[in-house]
Amino acid sequence: AMRSRAEVDATLQTAKLNPAELLPAVHCLSFGPQAGTGECYLLQLEPGLCAELEAGRSLVIRGEKDEQAVLCSRDKTYDMKIADTSNMLLFIPGCKTPEQLNADQASCDIIHSQIAGFSNNYWELRRCRPKLKKLRKLLMEDPYEGPDSQKDKTLTFSKYTTEDLFTLIQASEEEILHQLQVINACKIEGHWRILEFDYEMKLLNHVTQLIDSESWSLSKVPLRTCLEELGSLEPTEMIEHILLSYGKRYIDDGEVYFEMHEDKICRAIAQMLLQNAVKFNLSEFQEVWQQSVPEGMTARLDQLKGLALVDKTSRPETILLLKVEDLPEDNQERFNSLFSIREKWTEVDITPYIQDLCAEKQTVGALLTKYARSSMQNGVKVYNSRRPIS
Amino acid sequence: MVQIVVSSRGAGGLAEWVLVELQGEVEPRHSGGLAGSLLGDLHYTCEGVPVLIVGHHILYGKVVQLEKPFAVLVKKRADEPDPTGPHTHYTVTALIKTKLLFKTRPKPIITNVPKKV
Repeated sequence: AMRSRAEVDATLQTAKLNPAELLPAVHCLSFGPQAGTGECYLLQLEPGLCAELEAGRSLVIRGEKDEQAVLCSRDKTYDMKIADTSNMLLFIPGCKTPEQLNADQASCDIIHSQIAGFSNNYWELRRCRPKLKKLRKLLMEDPYEGPDSQKDKTLTFSKYTTEDLFTLIQASEEEILHQLQVINACKIEGHWRILEFDYEMKLLNHVTQLIDSESWSLSKVPLRTCLEELGSLEPTEMIEHILLSYGKRYIDDGEVYFEMHEDKICRAIAQMLLQNAVKFNLSEFQEVWQQSVPEGMTARLDQLKGLALVDKTSRPETILLLKVEDLPEDNQERFNSLFSIREKWTEVDITPYIQDLCAEKQTVGALLTKYARSSMQNGVKVYNSRRPIS
Repeated sequence: MVQIVVSSRGAGGLAEWVLVELQGEVEPRHSGGLAGSLLGDLHYTCEGVPVLIVGHHILYGKVVQLEKPFAVLVKKRADEPDPTGPHTHYTVTALIKTKLLFKTRPKPIITNVPKKV
């Protein structure tokens, strides 16, 4: 039975409240038929998500059975956690605020509002790094070795479409698409593939040799001529892909050109040299490296951040291959791994290997404070592990 | 990997609800659950202060604009056909941008004050 005005007024009188001090409208709250069935959940929205939902866009919750779930919008990833409150939260449709009541002169005297549900917890979100290491791992299951590959084509390996990747990776779609670009993946026959490194270098070499023989400027490499000259050696899609991976595309006077990326090319050539042995004499390496890069390009050690590690304490100084993408994704595991490779690190040396761990608005300094201990060595600040590393 | 889609009908299809935050727990007075039973009367003073009369208590609260709004998610029921496949599905039914927070200790309503003899 719904409450009447008379009953409401009687309650006010018993409560000794003066109706003259109250707004005329009253909400009589009761529990709706679905309240208490636990079908309603509260999700606390981080900035931007409210606008996404109002625009009609969906969110997706993704999680492996043994992993903590993440929530993905179109372009961001969030950790999800249940937050408990000691209070009771009731959610009420059609309940008006004083502003709304004052604005609407025709508001009903009695508003019978049904409480749709109640809860003492809600889902809390915290922006996190997308879990993208798995992306490289999946694509490395079957790297593309080129059309002449000797690989046994009768063996079926997993191949992944864009949709496959969206369902397998705990990250938003835009973060995944961006990462595909970062790792120079390409779509072959509808599947995303990563190039086998030797094949990638073979393609790059075709291009750099052509640039050299044609005496082109490194900032104006014509697509059309590349495809004409190299099309007999490699698939044209692959030639274009390597130009896109190592250059910046632009149009001049109706023709497509590429501005070759000096740092990326030098870096790739360094990787090619370094992967052949465990460690190199630094000065010997630098000499060979400079001779190996295209004419007009300068090989510099700062191009190798996150790829190679220089040891200035050894005599002679050495350099070795250490790729950040080969290191663990979890913060603590990453630091453990780095400290087992080298006991003490300067901030300059360790930064390229922990930069990607920084959460939104977190600095490398904050990470070091949390996961490392600092000390002074020969007047330089160094960081070592907080705990013994076996 | 488990994938749960949280879909929204967009601003046109999204209602705006209000959250009422109370201390303690809500318990039914009678056995048989809460569904259908009354909670109380919600008034506002002319200054916009929410006043909730629950049982024998008066609660005074305040209107709070939420810094982080809430989305109300409802699990999709089995009897509704799901074209997207076997994934679990939630629908965003409403957004909550305002809450009525009742933090003050409830004032008991005293009835039947005995008269001094």
